[in-house]
This record gives sequence, structure tokens and C-alpha cells, in this order.
Amino acid sequence: MTDQTLQSGSASGTAGPRAGWFGRLIYRSETARGYTLLTPALVFLGVAILVPFGILVVMSFWTAEGFGFDTTLTTHNYEQFFERPIYMALLSRTFGISGMVTIATVLLCYPMAYYVAFHVHRNKMFWLVLITLPFWTSYLLRVFAWKVVLGYEGVINSALLSVGLIEAPLEFLLYSKQAVIITLAHAWAAFAILPLYVSLEKIDKSLLEAATDLGDGPVRRFFRITLPLSLPGVISASLLVFIPTTGDYITPALLGGPDGAMIGNLIQKQFGPINNWPMGAALSIILMLCIAAISLIFIMLTLFVRKRIS
Amino acid sequence: MDITDQLGSMRAGDMSRRAFTKSLLSAGVGVAAVPLAVRKATAAPEDQATFFTWGGYDIPELFVPYNETHGELPNFSIFGGSEEALTKMRGGFVVDVSHPCNSGLPRWVQSGIFQRIDTGRLSNWGDVMPELVNLPGNEADGSSVWLAPFDWGQTSITYRTDMFEVEGEESWDMLWDKRYSGRLGSLASGGDAWWCGAIKAGVPMSEIHTDDAFDKIAAVMREQRPLIRTYTDDTTTLEQALSSGELVAAMTWNSSATLLQSEGVPVKFAKPKEGALTWVCGLMIHKDAPNLDRAYDVIDSLLSVESGKFMINDYGYGHSNSKSFEQFDAETLAGLGLSSNPADILEAGHFQVPQTQEWETKMNTLFEEIKSGF
Amino acid sequence: MSVESYIRKPNRPLQLYAAIFLITLYLPVLFLPLFSFNDSLYVRFPLESFTVRWYVELFARDAVWNALWNSVRVGVAVALVSTTMGIFAAKAITRYRMPGKGPVVTFIMLPLVVPLIIFGVALLVLMSQLGVPLSLYTVAIGHMIVCLPFSIAVLIPRFEGFDASIEEASADLGENAWWTFWRVTLPMVGPGVLASLMLTFTVSFDEFILAFFLSGTQPTLPMYIWGQLRFPQEFPSVLALSSIIIVVSFVIVFLGQWINRGAISASTSGDAS
Repeated sequence: MTDQTLQSGSASGTAGPRAGWFGRLIYRSETARGYTLLTPALVFLGVAILVPFGILVVMSFWTAEGFGFDTTLTTHNYEQFFERPIYMALLSRTFGISGMVTIATVLLCYPMAYYVAFHVHRNKMFWLVLITLPFWTSYLLRVFAWKVVLGYEGVINSALLSVGLIEAPLEFLLYSKQAVIITLAHAWAAFAILPLYVSLEKIDKSLLEAATDLGDGPVRRFFRITLPLSLPGVISASLLVFIPTTGDYITPALLGGPDGAMIGNLIQKQFGPINNWPMGAALSIILMLCIAAISLIFIMLTLFVRKRIS
Repeated sequence: MDITDQLGSMRAGDMSRRAFTKSLLSAGVGVAAVPLAVRKATAAPEDQATFFTWGGYDIPELFVPYNETHGELPNFSIFGGSEEALTKMRGGFVVDVSHPCNSGLPRWVQSGIFQRIDTGRLSNWGDVMPELVNLPGNEADGSSVWLAPFDWGQTSITYRTDMFEVEGEESWDMLWDKRYSGRLGSLASGGDAWWCGAIKAGVPMSEIHTDDAFDKIAAVMREQRPLIRTYTDDTTTLEQALSSGELVAAMTWNSSATLLQSEGVPVKFAKPKEGALTWVCGLMIHKDAPNLDRAYDVIDSLLSVESGKFMINDYGYGHSNSKSFEQFDAETLAGLGLSSNPADILEAGHFQVPQTQEWETKMNTLFEEIKSGF
Repeated sequence: MSVESYIRKPNRPLQLYAAIFLITLYLPVLFLPLFSFNDSLYVRFPLESFTVRWYVELFARDAVWNALWNSVRVGVAVALVSTTMGIFAAKAITRYRMPGKGPVVTFIMLPLVVPLIIFGVALLVLMSQLGVPLSLYTVAIGHMIVCLPFSIAVLIPRFEGFDASIEEASADLGENAWWTFWRVTLPMVGPGVLASLMLTFTVSFDEFILAFFLSGTQPTLPMYIWGQLRFPQEFPSVLALSSIIIVVSFVIVFLGQWINRGAISASTSGDAS
């Protein structure tokens, strides 16, 4: 299969040495060639994503029964979701936390991306590598590091105590929503910068020049040109942060305390101590649907705003 | 630019880079060709038994006899909780020996993935305390058991003697003390916390499955929830917090108090007047254990006096071998919340009564809701 | 030119912001190595005396080495397979005009935005229903889902920056397809391939959430660390281990990005001009 793909894919232009009817078809059609090359990736992702999802959907209509499952199809789990307040509450808390994280990350990363795009002239690549480097290191360890920083005897409290700014350690730093938000924003900052940077870098400098010539000050210029033109970057950065953070369960488990738990923790527990896999499957499906809906609304809203601006 | 020129330079030059890429790829293919499921090529660890256990039991001190016989330690696989372990094994995960506790015993047996242990094959069996063998669901018939008891202990309160002012007797009320709101900690697993809640609520262990018990326990757990700084399953978190003074009291097992004391932190493992929660954990053999002989060696090693001394001295847990206790005087044992006569402890405390899988799911669902504030 | 001049003018507040940003980005992570040399079981200030005993202890532990070996094997396998698929896919995406390319690319990039817990759960359900025992293979499959989009994303700029006519010329000169690929295409995209291998390896090596659901008896390194977190005696060794992982990840990723820097600077300068 792979060999076939290679053969047909790389020889372009003239007809290949051993072109059967299949080969000729492939040479003639760009589409066929393209899809042949894409086959391994598509087949793999297709099988590894769609099949498990299908089973997940089916399982969400089962019910747990002791060690096994009752495979009669029922909407029991979905009814549970609406009947018991915990699920909805955790879901909305999750979106609240992820939303805060997204806003914080994009706001904090935008100036940094702007700086690299407009004010760094040499070694841009070095800066980009420097910024994205932490993203590739173990997520677990970065969460863990924040525990050390925010802890009761952690770095911040020790520092403030030794300077004499506080008398007793600040307790709200750890085991709170704030701790989860700070940690997640930090963990995803590196990832959010890339789309922001790319969209800022693409802005045609002559537009800025024109605006200046027309008498726009820096602030006006920013809001009239730079910001609207970088909106695609803002959208992708927001989605790249918002969606993955909604499924997180490590950060809330380690730093969230009783009030910082998210829907991911509950999903994970359905597959662990609670041992109710069908409910876990239903919660996963609901989470996915909500994410899709929110993303869609967000994208439409941003596009609408952009149309109004320009 | 002339294309053929570029092509020429591509062919002539860059040889080194190409060669480099090539050798890199071939090296990679070599490594990738090592089958993932097979362990190191040295092959030796493959023959050893696999012990599926809690973290902290994967240490040489507990396998001195095993190491002497086989020249190596068994393989270890670590789980975070025994429910998680059972789920994994039911999902087709085969080990030689695993490590459940008494409250899970009937459900583990019922899952049908374990075999009975022939006690005649264990050299240390004669010294194992009979009180620990006769557990509900163990079906001990004199020559075989499902579970060979190994460690036992209590779930109680570890508190800072310098920061927590005890009013009257030590009691479970300490973890419901509003004076220390936000400075109390709890284990997150319902397997411990719910049962302690039952003791606090005055529900007898034998009635914990009733609807009335659910209501009563849920009420006390809801009352406690705003006072709790964190629920966690990792004892490190509780111990660190107790050592720093972030928490003044927390629900823990024996080992936390013992470790903190050895670090010089002024803590005490409380003997609540209502009684502590007592438990026994032990070893079970998988029905398809690939190294059955060595599985017995693992169990025998864990039941040995050497292991027992380590368990008592370093972790503060009870051991199932009565001879292990001979090295310690009554005062030391009492300080650890232990006794050379486990009946003393087991009778003074509350012993978990095994429940059905449905009960576990219901209890955990409810407890998760309470922990989240509902 | 006027814009040039205002842009060239150094913006002090922004410079300061950038400096603070970078410090905040790196500082938390650097506390782990700091405490790994601290002679105390508990992580707290003030620091006690300097020690390397946690590192020494670490090296005496077989379980660590087994976990490391597991992670390396999974990482290498995932890097090779996902990069190979990534090369073909990136070439197809950049070279050929195909109907439906947009949705296909979106589908391929989907794993970057779907919460990993969903993949973990879905694959776990699939494996258990099929009766496939959890093993390093299942972990590797999970990791490939995440690594494939990364690999393609890294490779696309490389293919974009490279003139397709060179391949055609090679074919015109009578080279066969495999030879053209091996001698022309691969060297041109080589740095991208190397970068993709390194990035996918690190992503797999550091990945925890999928491994949490999909690993069997053999833990990967992050799984091992997670298991050890509950035991205070092990905690300093975990810090030591973490420090080593961080340093190794930094070096690999830095090298990978550096080798591939041509692609990104080429594509960005191409946009700018």
C-alpha cells in the first residue's frame, strides 16, 4: 500500500515507466493522486476517531449493571444529566473556567505576538522557538510546578512572607478556581501565540503606512487596521485554548480543591471509582456537542463583528 | 533560478545530510522494530511474577526472600485505587498477584478472574493470624483461601498536636470542627471517607446499604464539605499540608502519621472515641497467572517476618504475620495505633462490610455530588 | 518608509512586557530542578542544603528505567509512523488541487482541538468492546492520533517552501519515482522531517491523559510519575526525574525547531514581502 502510494505520488509530469490503467488514471487526475497520498493518514484517523466515537455514542444509550452493561437502548443517562443538578453545574463551571482561561491567554499573548511580529527584526525564529518551547514539555510536570509555586509554603507565599507583605500564607492561591485558571492559562500560552503571531505577521505593512499618512494615531491605527486584520488569529487562538481546556481533569484534580472540579474529573471518575461507563460516555457526548455549539456561535459572532467593523 | 542547476547541487552536494537522514531513519526503524509488548531483551524480568499493587509496595525491602531465591525483584504494576485495578483486570489485563482490601473481596471473587490460593504452598502461612484470614467472602476452608491477608490498619485522623486543640476526647468530630474550617483535609475515595462518615453519623456498618443510612451519611458529608480544604487520593498532598500547617487535621491511614513523626512533625494518629475505620488488605492470584510458582513466592515474601518488620516500623501498618510483632514492645505498637493482637484493634474499630457493585456505584455517584457541593 | 521608522523605534513598555512574559513562562517550570537539589522530603522554602542524593536514588530504581524504556519505544514508534503518514499527507495537501480538501484538512487537524479525555475514553471503550488488552500498542495508537496533525502542521510549510518543478525535472531526467523521492524530495524536506520526528517524539514522550486511559501493565514515564506522586518518600526523586525530562525535552524540541527554522522563516518572510 505504502509503496504504491509512493510510486504514484512522487512521479509527476510525464507518464511513469510502468503505467497500467490504474497508474494512468492516477497520473491524469490530481485528485486521485492527492487522495492516494492522503490515504494512510485518512484511513488511520478515520478508523481511530470515527469507530471509537460510534461505539461511544452507542454506549451512552446503555446502562451500567453491576460489572457489565445492560445493552437495551435507553436515554436514561441523558435524563439523569438533566435531572441531577451536578452535571449541568459542573458543565457550566467548566465553560466558565475555560472561558476565563481563553480570555486571559489571548489578552496576555496578543502583545507578545505583536512584539515579535512588529518589533523583533533579527532572530524572529529564535524568539518563536523560545516562546513555544515550554508547550512541548510535559503537561503533568507544568501543572505540578504550579503546585510548587502556589502552595501554602510555595514560592509566592514564601516570597511575600519574607518581604513582610503578608503575615500568614495566602490560602486562596491553591485549591481554588483561580489556581486552575492561572495554571491552564500558563500551560496554553505558548500554543496560543502561534496563530496570533502568524496573523499579525501577515498584515501588509503598507496598510499601516497608509493609515499613518491619513493621520491616524497609533491607537486608532491599531483598532482600525491591526486588530481587525488579526481577528482570524484571535479566533483560532481562542478555539485552540478553549476547546482542549474544557476536557482537562489533571489541573482541577491537583489544584482545584472542592470548588475547582470540572466536568473532565467527573467523566474520568465514571470510568474509575464510580464505574458507570455508559454515564461517562453520555457525559463525553454532551461535552462534545456543547463544545461544537459554542465554537460555532463564537465563530459566527466574530465574523459578524468583523463585517461590522470593515 | 535554473532548475537543473539546483537539481545538480542536490545530487552532488548534501550527501552528508542525506546520509545522515538515512542512518537516522534506519536507526529509528531498528528501534521501532523492537516489539512493544516485549520487555527488555535481557529477558530476565520476563520470567518474574508481576505484582499489581498500590504505589509504595514496589520496593526491595518487601521482597528480600524473593530476591534471595530468584536474584531479582518481581515486576511491578501500580494502580491508584483498587477499583481502578479491578476495572483494568476485568478489561483483560493479566497479572500474577494483586492487592485488594477486605471491603472489595466478595466483588473481586465474583468477577471470576481469580483463583484460590493453596495455603500449603506458603511457608509463612502457619504464622498468619487467623482473625485476618476469616474475612467475609474469603471462604477459608483450612487448605485454601481467596485472599491471603498481608497488611492491615486504620483510617483515622492525623492531627497537629501543636495546632489542633482537642476538646475532650479524640473524636470524629475533629474533622467536623468549625473552628478549623478550611484547614481540614480528607481522603477523596468513598471507600474510606463514606465509611468514616457512617461512623460519625452513628450508622452501624451492617446497615450501611439501607436508604436511611444513605440519607444520614449524605447529611454529615454535606455538613463537612464546606470545612474541607481539599479531598485528595494522594497521601503526599495531605502529608505535605500537615507538615506545613496548611492543614491541622486530616483523614489518613497509619502511614501518614508514622512518616510525619519520623520527619519530626508534631502529629498524632487519633483514636476516635467512636472507633476508627479498620481494614485488611491482602493478596489474590489471577486465574491465568502466567508465573504461578513465582506468584506464590511473591505472597510468601510479603508474608515473611522481614517484610512485616518493615511494614510496622517504616509504614506503621499492621502485618499479618504474628511473629513480625515480636520485635516491637506494646508501647511502640500502641503509638502506631497497632497491637500484636489484631482482634483488639478490629473489635475496637469498625470493620468494613463488603457491598455490591451497585452499592459502590450509587455511593460513589452520590459522594462525587457531595464533594462538588450538591 | 514612515511606517518602517515608527516600527523600528523601540517600544520600551512592550519590550518590558515581553521580558516579563518570558520570565513568567519559564519560571514555574524551573522550580522543579531547583527543589530536586534540595535536601528535604518536602517542597518548601527556605531551601535546605544542596544534595544530589535524589538523583542517585533515582538511578538505583529499576522501575524508572523500565518506564523510561517504555516511553522511548512508544515515542520512537509514534514519531516514525506519524511522520511517514505526515509526509504523504503534507505533500498531498500542498501539491494537489483536490475537491473537498478543506473538510479533509479540518478533519485531520480535529485532534488538535478535541479534548484528549474524549479520545482516551472513546478508545478505551473501543478496546474493551473488542476485547483488546491494554498495552503499549494501545497507548501508541492514542498518541498517533495527536501526533499526526502536529507532524502535518510542521511539514506543510516545508512543502510549501519547495519548488515542485525540481521534482518534475528529476522525473524528466529519467529518475524513477522512488529515486526522485529519495534523492530530491526527502533532502529538500529533510529538516522538516527531522523536526516532525523530534516534535512527535516529545509529544508522545510527555503525553499523560491518553496514556492514563490506555496503558496496561507497562507504565510510560508520565504514568510512573503519576503513580509515585502519592508517596512522599518518592517525591524528591520524582522531582529529579522531572528535571531530567524537562531538560531532555527542551533540548530535543529546541534542536527540532532550530533545524526546521528555515521553513517558518521562509514562509513568514514570503508572506511579508
